[in-house]
Amino acid sequence: MPLTGVEPARMNRKKGDKGFESPRPYKLTHQVVCINNINFQRKSVVGFVELTIFPTVANLNRIKLNSKQCRIYRVRINDLEAAFIYNDPTLEVCHSESKQRNLNYFSNAYAAAVSAVDPDAGNGELCIKVPSELWKHVDELKVLKIHINFSLDQPKGGLHFVVPSVEGSMAERGAHVFSCGYQNSTRFWFPCVDSYSELCTWKLEFTVDAAMVAVSNGDLVETVYTHDMRKKTFHYMLTIPTAASNISLAIGPFEILVDPYMHEVTHFCLPQLLPLLKHTTSYLHEVFEFYEEILTCRYPYSCFKTVFIDEAYVEVAAYASMSIFSTNLLHSAMIIDETPLTRRCLAQSLAQQFFGCFISRMSWSDEWVLKGISGYIYGLWMKKTFGVNEYRHWIKEELDKIVAYELKTGGVLLHPIFGGGKEKDNPASHLHFSIKHPHTLSWEYYSMFQCKAHLVMRLIENRISMEFMLQVFNKLLSLASTASSQKFQSHMWSQMLVSTSGFLKSISNVSGKDIQPLIKQWVDQSGVVKFYGSFAFNRKRNVLELEIKQDYTSPGTQKYVGPLKVTVQELDGSFNHTLQIEENSLKHDIPCHSKSRRNKKKKIPLMNGEEVDMDLSAMDADSPLLWIRIDPDMSVLRKVEFEQADFMWQYQLRYERDVVAQQESILALEKFPTPASRLALTDILEQEQCFYRVRMSACFCLAKIANSMVSTWTGPPAMKSLFTRMFCCKSCPNIVKTNNFMSFQSYFLQKTMPVAMALLRDVHNLCPKEVLTFILDLIKYNDNRKNKFSDNYYRAEMIDALANSVTPAVSVNNEVRTLDNLNPDVRLILEEITRFLNMEKLLPSYRHTITVRLECSGAILAHHNLHLLGSSDSPASAS
Amino acid sequence: MADAAATAGAGGSGTRSGSKQSTNPADNYHLARRRTLQVVVSSLLTEAGFESAEKASVETLTEMLQSYISEIGRSAKSYCEHTARTQPTLSDIVVTLVEMGFNVDTLPAYAKRSQRMVITAPPVTNQPVTPKALTAGQNRPHPPHIPSHFPEFPDPHTYIKTPTYREPVSDYQVLREKAASQRRDVERALTRFMAKTGETQSLFKDDVSTFPLIAARPFTIPYLTALLPSELEMQQMEETDSSEQDEQTDTENLALHISMEDSGAEKENTSVLQQNPSLSGSRNGEENIIDNPYLRPVKKPKIRRKKHGILLCCPGWS
Repeated sequence: MPLTGVEPARMNRKKGDKGFESPRPYKLTHQVVCINNINFQRKSVVGFVELTIFPTVANLNRIKLNSKQCRIYRVRINDLEAAFIYNDPTLEVCHSESKQRNLNYFSNAYAAAVSAVDPDAGNGELCIKVPSELWKHVDELKVLKIHINFSLDQPKGGLHFVVPSVEGSMAERGAHVFSCGYQNSTRFWFPCVDSYSELCTWKLEFTVDAAMVAVSNGDLVETVYTHDMRKKTFHYMLTIPTAASNISLAIGPFEILVDPYMHEVTHFCLPQLLPLLKHTTSYLHEVFEFYEEILTCRYPYSCFKTVFIDEAYVEVAAYASMSIFSTNLLHSAMIIDETPLTRRCLAQSLAQQFFGCFISRMSWSDEWVLKGISGYIYGLWMKKTFGVNEYRHWIKEELDKIVAYELKTGGVLLHPIFGGGKEKDNPASHLHFSIKHPHTLSWEYYSMFQCKAHLVMRLIENRISMEFMLQVFNKLLSLASTASSQKFQSHMWSQMLVSTSGFLKSISNVSGKDIQPLIKQWVDQSGVVKFYGSFAFNRKRNVLELEIKQDYTSPGTQKYVGPLKVTVQELDGSFNHTLQIEENSLKHDIPCHSKSRRNKKKKIPLMNGEEVDMDLSAMDADSPLLWIRIDPDMSVLRKVEFEQADFMWQYQLRYERDVVAQQESILALEKFPTPASRLALTDILEQEQCFYRVRMSACFCLAKIANSMVSTWTGPPAMKSLFTRMFCCKSCPNIVKTNNFMSFQSYFLQKTMPVAMALLRDVHNLCPKEVLTFILDLIKYNDNRKNKFSDNYYRAEMIDALANSVTPAVSVNNEVRTLDNLNPDVRLILEEITRFLNMEKLLPSYRHTITVRLECSGAILAHHNLHLLGSSDSPASAS
Repeated sequence: MADAAATAGAGGSGTRSGSKQSTNPADNYHLARRRTLQVVVSSLLTEAGFESAEKASVETLTEMLQSYISEIGRSAKSYCEHTARTQPTLSDIVVTLVEMGFNVDTLPAYAKRSQRMVITAPPVTNQPVTPKALTAGQNRPHPPHIPSHFPEFPDPHTYIKTPTYREPVSDYQVLREKAASQRRDVERALTRFMAKTGETQSLFKDDVSTFPLIAARPFTIPYLTALLPSELEMQQMEETDSSEQDEQTDTENLALHISMEDSGAEKENTSVLQQNPSLSGSRNGEENIIDNPYLRPVKKPKIRRKKHGILLCCPGWS
């Protein structure tokens, strides 16, 4: 270890200028958590913790720790009894004497209560007085050991008990308990410094029933029976410094599966689910390989555990060296739709192992870096696993989500800086909650925050290149792993914390590029950009006159100044132009390369170098422009409303190879119900090589267009002949082929088309009889016997189709529908639905997809004043 | 009138009194036998010196004779069966006659009387054969432990199975139609049955019967039914799997599959052996030391007594 002499010196210097300053007058180095009794019947936990701390100031006489809902019996410091005060202000946010009863008042009071115990400000619910005998000891900055005995009864958060009410012992019943919670909520189940920035090593001991397994962080050192052999104690050791907030626990009669590819990885699931667990986790090693390869860094912990539990609050929760998943993510090999979703969850949790668990954050305002990086590398995994199309589609989806949220609710601020705490410079005054603490946020805001964080990370990548980006990550990880191996130099551990400034510094060190404007725009400010674009072609000058306006006055928007890429597809090829968006310039002249006189024989080169033949007859004869795209790479968090002619959208749909462009044009074509749009959409639907999600959205667009042109529509209902050609038998076109879902693209299309078709309406605003018969036939002839996959999602879509085919009747005076005045079509639909429901009771489908879907479609049937379920329970109130 | 009585008597011997025009061989046989008996009675009357007799009296006498002979036969058969035989012997007859109060000793003399008349044998009519009732299939031969004189086995369709043959339907459309409606019928029958026998809920408040819904029951462990594939699906999967493998026999996949199926150390070893036997020795060793802490045996407490002492010294609340 010759380097150790050099390394700390360098790090110390760095620490000097941008170091982490602990808000606490002490440093925690080690914590023992011992839970020696868990009672499932009473849902209670008894145990003790022991914290080893080093005072950093001489006159330390009070120690503040976090603890919620625990009953503290006794506190001893270095074996001396210590007095303590326990006060949780969040238990009574608005004191009863308060006269003001409004949301604003509550929100302020709640934020104040959360601040009062915020560990990042050095506060805590539990205040321990250092006994006077130890003051001298403290003045010498010597070690203190705080021993706290506590118990927990019927926890309302933090630990969740699942106790099914069946016969048998707790293990036979499948009773289990697991830690859960949002952000730093470990204080709910044991006293600790519940901050992401206070790292220490851990020793965890759990005594459980002999039939159960306790899964926790770090390495399982040994398992020992108690004297009566009825219980056993699991001893865990976590030598990598970890924040208390990343500590977790799951106890239950789990089935154990050692990963066949990586023996350090162990999977746990509830009894009887082992076959599903085998299938579900068989893919995990590939995710490991991917992350380790792109980060050029080994997985930081010596082991990894996945636990699948019931009644999870969130599908995925990542903790140090273990992840807790919802048991609903388990699936067998027959399920198509759940497979990518589950794999995504696995990949997400693994990304958070690196950034979030191993590397922690300095303060709440640095959260975006961790969420951003883990979301970004998860995106890279998506790109590799599901392809570029899926990745771009996902980015577009996330972008649309965040744009819609910000425009509706107001901006999402990634890096809030809290100044003096004055009300006027509150950066989020438009929100009804404080964004100062993770615990005061709305859940939706936080999920949008995560979404924005990874999008911004992608913007940074666009600026500095992926290679540099990965180098930065690697640097963060290697710094942290060096620091984590310094067992006895706890001051070094702050290297494992990431901060916004540290992250930005690494970026500028590695790439040498200045990304300050980008950070200022997206990280330090909230809001998205809203562009309105229109254009005119000046034939004399052969110039495209582009006008781009911005709306930066409505809530959730901000002004954008800087480069903007515009791609123009002309007859002679595709050309990128970078416009400078400035304060006052709205109009931009872009010179065109091609003459409007077109050479009919010539093929037209596309952006990707491909050359295609096009039928140019639909074009404007004077203009060489095929289509125009603003910000095609999504390098601005924006919403673009661009006006171009319908034929341009059609060309864009047919010939632009980017899935995002195709989807944009599908959305735009809804406004142009013409036969040409119909043809373009049908062509896309038929094109096998087209991305399946684009084809799926084309279905819905086609249905909308068909409804708009209902009076002039010729031929069979939209998509019917297409569906017949693709999925029905050659000899008898009214019968669907027996299911074979080997090709997933056509499976998804087959699922979607009937749902879209059911949205068709005739002139009387009713679903055409032909379509309804067609859907009923699909259900009737559905035959899954020869299929390798389950058809439950397909059948569920058929129910959606049935529900879509019903036009909600205008109910007159709350008239009660009876059996007699039931429309015959509705009666047919009801018969099918009854059959589906009954069959589901006898042969349940995976995750009861069909019943769940029926519940959703039930809303539509309710329009018909039908009481689908539970009508027998509330006969009086139903009408 | 007499004719009518004669035919009535002839017909009345059995239960088949309703049959008018007897054309079947069994009736012919009975008629012929009756006629022979009438001849016998007439000759006996002649022997006794009658010159003529009324039809009715002849009929009565015939009836009496017939029942007498029948009784002899029946009793003789009883006696023979009593001694565990199937064929009556002379002695059976003798005993019978004695039993019936007949002096057997007079019989030879009576037989040798001078004035006895010889009746020509009745015209040979075929013994009625019980008509073979539609033979279907091959009768089974007797197994060796059944003597050959026992009656033959009946036709297989009567006690084994009844095969039916029909032209197989080959039209695809009809087939699909059939499959669909069949499944639907089965489903409907099943659900109706379940609805009838169990609790139901209904869509309409006023009408319980039209759309019967099997009542929803809460599951105590809901995730089991929701996640685990039903037996039907499992079976289906196996079927499709096997058919799949017929098409593409990927041995490597197969081996991999096995190794994933069984994490048990021994099974894994066998799969490794299958994969490459040359490496089995070295790999075997590796496989054996899967060092996962969760697979290690649980330690006995006495080894860690001291440690436990520490654990227990903290006041334990229970």
